[in-house]
Amino acid sequence: MAYHKPTYLFLFLPILLLIYQIAPRKFRRGVLLGAGYLFFWSISGKLVLYLIGTTIFTHYIGICLELQESRKKKRLVLAGGVLLLLGVLGYLKYYNFFAENISRMLEAAGSGMIIPARHLLLPIGISFYTLQAISYIADVYWKKIPAEKNLMKLALFLGFFPQIMEGPISTYGQTAEAIFRCDPLRLENLSSGAVRILWGLFKKIVIADRLYTLVQAVFDNHENFGGVIVFIAATAYTAQLYMEFSGCIDIVIGSARMFGVKLPENFRQPFASRNAAEFWRRWHITLGEWFKAYVFFPVSVSGPVKKWNRYGRKKFGKYITKAGASAMALFPVWLGNGLWHGARWSYIFFGMYYFAVLMAGIMAEPVRNKIIKTLHINEDASWFKALQIGKTWIIIIIGEMFFRANGLRAGIQMFQSMFGRPSGNLMTLGLDTADYVVILYGCAVVGLVGILRERNLLDGHMLRNLKLPVRWAIYYGLILAVLIFGAYGVGYQQVDLIYAGF
Amino acid sequence: MRAFRRCVLFFVILILMLYGLSQIVNVLVKSGSDLIQSRNKSIAGIQNEKEDSVDVLVLGDSESYTSVSTVKLWNQYGTAAYIGGQAGQNIQETYYMLRTALQNQSPKIVVLETNVLFREQKGVKGIQEGLIQKANYYFPIFRYHDFWKPVLFGKEYAEESFKGFMLRETVESYKGGEYMKETKEKDRISEMVKHYMDEILELCKEKEVSFFLYSAPSPVNYNYRRHNALKEYAREIGVPYEDLNLKAKKIGIDWEMDTMDRGDHLNLAGADKVTEYLGRIWKETFDLPDRREDPEYSQWQKEAREYTQRAEYKLQRMHK
Repeated sequence: MAYHKPTYLFLFLPILLLIYQIAPRKFRRGVLLGAGYLFFWSISGKLVLYLIGTTIFTHYIGICLELQESRKKKRLVLAGGVLLLLGVLGYLKYYNFFAENISRMLEAAGSGMIIPARHLLLPIGISFYTLQAISYIADVYWKKIPAEKNLMKLALFLGFFPQIMEGPISTYGQTAEAIFRCDPLRLENLSSGAVRILWGLFKKIVIADRLYTLVQAVFDNHENFGGVIVFIAATAYTAQLYMEFSGCIDIVIGSARMFGVKLPENFRQPFASRNAAEFWRRWHITLGEWFKAYVFFPVSVSGPVKKWNRYGRKKFGKYITKAGASAMALFPVWLGNGLWHGARWSYIFFGMYYFAVLMAGIMAEPVRNKIIKTLHINEDASWFKALQIGKTWIIIIIGEMFFRANGLRAGIQMFQSMFGRPSGNLMTLGLDTADYVVILYGCAVVGLVGILRERNLLDGHMLRNLKLPVRWAIYYGLILAVLIFGAYGVGYQQVDLIYAGF
Repeated sequence: MRAFRRCVLFFVILILMLYGLSQIVNVLVKSGSDLIQSRNKSIAGIQNEKEDSVDVLVLGDSESYTSVSTVKLWNQYGTAAYIGGQAGQNIQETYYMLRTALQNQSPKIVVLETNVLFREQKGVKGIQEGLIQKANYYFPIFRYHDFWKPVLFGKEYAEESFKGFMLRETVESYKGGEYMKETKEKDRISEMVKHYMDEILELCKEKEVSFFLYSAPSPVNYNYRRHNALKEYAREIGVPYEDLNLKAKKIGIDWEMDTMDRGDHLNLAGADKVTEYLGRIWKETFDLPDRREDPEYSQWQKEAREYTQRAEYKLQRMHK
């Protein structure tokens, strides 16, 4: 039961809204919690026990942290809690990856020892709820929030059904209060939530699922393609991933909105970014913020980095010291980011790719500033912005190509073939002219909305302030666009949510 | 209260829009089968058949349309049959295919190829499929939502068939030997499938249509465990059942020549043999009329003649 499927949209959500509204306020938390576990169970079956186990464990770690008076013991509890949560995630998600690679290394070293692979079932959304649990423990440790005494409340925070599968990853302080309030349903929330869901469906079903055919045709047979077709496929995958992930997040945010819960945004026009760092402040925002708050900042103020800052300033000067300190803090962030997506070398490469790009940006900054000053370039000039955005697009597209490729080797081969002889034909990749037209128009609509938002010319209130016939025309237009131009039913493949797999 | 009324009005207009669009696509569906995607052709086709002209309606997945030849049935027994099978048809689709067909047809028998009964359709997946098929049935715009492709871009999905039967001449032998090894074990038919079967049987009872189950010869899909399950289930629901996997030799199935994909599906030659056998049973058991001399069926006769020529040519090529 994924968020874009009829069972969720036309059964689960409406029935839940009805039960929630009928239920007395004091039972509504129970209704939402039950819905969360039912939703989780419908996807992962008995693996829901992992979620329940994580919740109970996190709950007691939180209380323990609050009860401890000694800073040393608190640290121990924090470390134990985080390590165990990461341990479960790591074991389920990465055990086979490390077992395989260590076995290979042992084999290469002449040892006959093999670490056997295990059949491990990964609960859906474990990467999302584990990060939320860690953020809760860390925030209790830092005294940003008090420990939650009510187990049910914490269970609801970690098992809030719209967030279970794909995030957004929220901190306790961001969403808990709104979830626990359990306000009665309001028409305003219902309608704005429904519009957001529709917008998400448009992106997912009309554009992303249509692009899937082309992307799969090229990436799964990459050796048959070369030149511009590979670049088009990489661009198509970037667009597919954005439309799908942001579309799904729209459905998630819209669903939560219906219950009066405002979840944090996960995307803010990422393709308007002028550099890679800005891109990551606009793309999968909640993951980026999590790494910033719980990895980057703690590492930045950690003993080794402080020591390096003191030592580096004396020995190497400001420039090298800054670069070194940045590298020390950014490396675990990007290694973690890559690994978070899954146990594959291509994901690790993806993380290291952005680490290298960001480090290059930091290191080249003085030279860049000098060039701009010498040539009297106006950084706000449209042509300069366009140039920067274009450069960022290329960085993103290449990164996503490695991310999607069937392994690191395939990624490297595709990268090389992009500069080789063109081979392949766009019209034989499973899409016809009509599909390309829909994709182009669809992307244009999403792009236009993005531009209007970027310039603060469009927000939810504006839609509400439009005259009823205009507003309804927009709603009907969206519904019919999804219904008629959606890539569903006969002739199309069912496409699972990409990020649910992470 | 005003907001509630507005909400109701919004959905009423939406339903009217869906209804209107469904009417438009229904007109398009009737205007030509080349405008419809392959998997939807059988359901569109049965809607386009002349009212009350079909005596035998065959349902099921690909095992159905590769094992019963409407050409053979017509030529040998004068039986007017239509194949409402679809690749990978699930039981929900079978049910709504039947409901669609019974809107303008009153067949004497509905025949179901049993492979469809082993598509579990349990849990959320089953509920979802039921929901989708219901929406497709009441608002055909969902099923034919791609209608704009042929209309605006001239896209066509050309495919030749005679009343749902296509001539498949490929030969890829099955060499696995005996596959119906006797056992007392039996496979399971899911509750969801049984629920839809009850609905199907109820519908047939209501319309006074006989029901018949058969299993097409297919080493890939059948074994004795399935035979046991089907035999027991057929007895339970009180319908006749023929397992042709146990009668493959008697029918004359030659696994060297009569399968198109190593025992998964029969080809034209295999379908001819199965049809000859089943056609006789149906004719004798259900007293089916011979329509060959019926002037109402002159168009049917004409189409069958053309298709027969092609079928004979292909059969000759297969045996060369």
